[in-house]
Amino acid sequence: MSDEVQVTVTVNGRRREARLEPRRLLVDYLRHDLGLTGAHIGCEQGVCGACTVLLDGRTARSCLHFAVAVDGSDIRTVEDLADLDELHPIQEMFHQKHALQCGFCTPGFLLTTVELLERTADPDEAAIREALMNNVCRCTGYANIVDAVAEAAVELRRRSPT
Amino acid sequence: MSVDQNGAVGQSVLRREDDYLLRGQGRFVDDLPTPLSTLHLAFVLSPYAHARITSIDASEALALDGVVDVLTGADLAAMVKPIAAQIELPGYSFNTRDVLAVDEVRFAGEAVAVVVAESPYLAEDGMELVQVDYESLPAITDIHAATDPAAPQVNPTVPGNVYFEGRFATEGVAAGFEAAAHVITEDFHSKRVTAVPIEPRGCLAVPEQPSNLVFYSSTQIHHLLRTALAEFLDVAESNLRVVVPDVGGGFGIKAALYPEEFVCAALALRLRRPVKWIQDRYGALLTDVHARDNHYRVEAAINDDGIVLALRAEIRTNGGAYSALPFGCTLETTGGARMIVGPYRITEYEYTATAVATHTAPVLAYRGVAQPVCFMAIEGIMDRIARRLELDPAEVRLRNMVPTAELPWTNIVGVRYDTGSFVESLELAMEMAGYDEFRAGQAQGRLVDGKYRGIGICSFTEVSGTGAPGWRARGLTRLPGFDSGTVKVEPTGKVTAFVSHAHSGQGHFTTFAQVVADALGARLEDVTVVEGDTAAGPYGTNTFASRSAVTGGGALIRASEKARLKLARIAAFMLESTPEDIVVSDGQMHVAGVPSRTLSFQEVAETAYAMNTSDLPEGESFGIEETDFYDPPLVTMANATHIAQVAVDAGDGTVDIEGYVVVHDCGRVINPMIVDGQVMGGVAQGVGEALMEEFVYDEDGQVRTATLIDYLLPSSVDVPNFQIAHIESPSIDTVGGFKGVGEGGLIGAVPALVNAVADALSDLDVNVNTKPLRPALLSRLIREAGG
Ligand code: FES
Ligand code: FES
Repeated sequence: MSDEVQVTVTVNGRRREARLEPRRLLVDYLRHDLGLTGAHIGCEQGVCGACTVLLDGRTARSCLHFAVAVDGSDIRTVEDLADLDELHPIQEMFHQKHALQCGFCTPGFLLTTVELLERTADPDEAAIREALMNNVCRCTGYANIVDAVAEAAVELRRRSPT
Repeated sequence: MSVDQNGAVGQSVLRREDDYLLRGQGRFVDDLPTPLSTLHLAFVLSPYAHARITSIDASEALALDGVVDVLTGADLAAMVKPIAAQIELPGYSFNTRDVLAVDEVRFAGEAVAVVVAESPYLAEDGMELVQVDYESLPAITDIHAATDPAAPQVNPTVPGNVYFEGRFATEGVAAGFEAAAHVITEDFHSKRVTAVPIEPRGCLAVPEQPSNLVFYSSTQIHHLLRTALAEFLDVAESNLRVVVPDVGGGFGIKAALYPEEFVCAALALRLRRPVKWIQDRYGALLTDVHARDNHYRVEAAINDDGIVLALRAEIRTNGGAYSALPFGCTLETTGGARMIVGPYRITEYEYTATAVATHTAPVLAYRGVAQPVCFMAIEGIMDRIARRLELDPAEVRLRNMVPTAELPWTNIVGVRYDTGSFVESLELAMEMAGYDEFRAGQAQGRLVDGKYRGIGICSFTEVSGTGAPGWRARGLTRLPGFDSGTVKVEPTGKVTAFVSHAHSGQGHFTTFAQVVADALGARLEDVTVVEGDTAAGPYGTNTFASRSAVTGGGALIRASEKARLKLARIAAFMLESTPEDIVVSDGQMHVAGVPSRTLSFQEVAETAYAMNTSDLPEGESFGIEETDFYDPPLVTMANATHIAQVAVDAGDGTVDIEGYVVVHDCGRVINPMIVDGQVMGGVAQGVGEALMEEFVYDEDGQVRTATLIDYLLPSSVDVPNFQIAHIESPSIDTVGGFKGVGEGGLIGAVPALVNAVADALSDLDVNVNTKPLRPALLSRLIREAGG
């Protein structure tokens, strides 16, 4: 189409160029053009957080951004957290603490946790609950997620003592 | 032959599902790779609750590049028969639904046309260009007003807007009320909610040989869906394959059969191209089945000790505009009427239970079905008895409960409670909650630091694992009860277990492997579970109503036992022993007393598959692949007690949950970690239902809660931490001793929280008999009572 716009972004460390319709949502670009289906669409209303990605290091709802509007940004998705052999410590703690059931909300919670623990190495329970309050999970009842985040904080501090 | 190994059942085995889900590699229906030729659908939804469709003009939409077709109700009616739930209850008004409305719409959100396009964006563009003219008609949404003689008629075959009225009475009800020292009467109101799994619904239909169609759907009921597609599309069932990918939560609403599924399949067959539809949240809120728009009037005849002599219930449930498949609009009606007696020794009982039609979304299953409301009613009555007689609410319950020593016990509507722990679960929960100390503290006054503090109990029975007789008792004669399992020992000795269930977050790959490992004598890591595919394994009733542990577990145990017997026969032949003397342990087999000579599953399997030089015993068939079915009893009854402690802000009416205890008894526990997860997730939904969630129609039937900003879901700051304990009273009526656990968290939470708030405000002259208990309502009640 003639009204397509050139976009260049870095996604999970890799430079990507595309010509996109201005209205193409970032989440659709990631999921359906790049095959990064870890960000999920739960509402497209900016409420559920299932589509959360890291945009220049900050959590963002990829359902609320047009892909062309994030031209030049650095994007990190859930697919970037683990390496082939090992889960990221946050993921590992979600596993250990049974912090996921259907797993649909989980990528959003993981990336929200990445942001939280980058800012606050040792959050208390209230801070964790506050940080997670804009992500909705309908399966777990949150308690195990809160535990997993607390344990992940311990593990990350153990790995890189300041 | 015997099994000798450390059981996997009972262990908190970490989930196998987690690794790929955590990596973002889940395969939900919208994640599935689609062929380039895939077409996409968008449905045009009616903004009116009740209207005549006067014209549909699709010319502008059709003129759009990339829009392939626009079809209306009449077009689809030529491809799909009207869909209908089959309910066999005396007096039930049979009714049908066109998959796209023809001539008349009956609820806001009902689809009137579908746009077929080359991309989802183009389908939506087309949808916005379809011009539909409606003539608005008067609508009725209220459960009571619906049966007013002047009310608009919702459905031509549902006279007076009554789908069904059920009656039941034992002989001594009137005598019970005559003998009563007190009669407690209360009306309980429950507002409409919907499940809101975070993954919306969706499906992908791919024409593919040798089947005609592979149909991927975010459903909980793949076998029932396949049968229904065959029936209503008039295609050979054997040419359809339904596959369930990962599903992002179901909670019952994905155990309905929806018009979009039939449309998607019909169009793929007609157009000979893959067709995909992914729901958006607006459509989900408007068109997913709803629940809980119920009214209960309960009267209890009691003596001076607070013992219930007789109970009357008048139940009214809103069935919405159509009786939805497969369970029908009477699901909540018969459910509430049959379950309300709970763990109590109710010996005289009478009910009238009515399902009414309104211009609202169809109502079907949501986690707990009728139980959160019927237990809000009976548990509310128990608290009112206590207040009337100045007894403790726990004491009233204990006096009325069926004690464990009297189990098995058959309740007044014929449901057998084989084992359980009604009294013990209440006593343990009280201890964990510090109940007595809390009451002692309350004696100094409920209002402290500007907050009214209260405690609420819900002791309840929890219907799970229903067999065919249980469905028949509720008129669901076309709903089976059994599930199936096939256990296959592969030539390499690894085990593949097929089960007729489909997961939406329950952890089946892990729990069913635990069950099979123990029953077969295999190593846990050698067992792989396959499910959610009608081409893999035999028929079953699938995954809803807390069934899977009971029915799938039972079927897999039976199939595993058959496979184990075959392994033992072959091993005995190879070891020159007898099958009775073979001991199976951790994937190895040996003759009892001779542990030095062992055969691995692989060595035995190689014989079965003729991959070595050993012969098979005379008359033995090749392979090791055994199937069995399991239909549980009428109903498998779990039980639990929840105790909630709340603080209600005297100023703004907000409710803080300061303590939450669950003592649950689901019989033999397969995986405690997963059971706890089910309980906590259920309680969180109960917090939403009790305190926040309400799906609102205005008087004209227009939707006021069409986004998740308006329909509030509980978040991490709304849901408390939990104390959970288990009592295990293994079922003596089911294979494996399992009882279900999927719904109990939600069932117990609603009554416990409502009762806790009522208790907190009990020094004021307010009546808490409704939900949700939102701050605005509570602050008004407190203000009006001068609190
Ligand atoms: S899909 Fe983006 S916030 Fe829900
Ligand atoms: S795990 Fe299902 S929504 Fe969170």
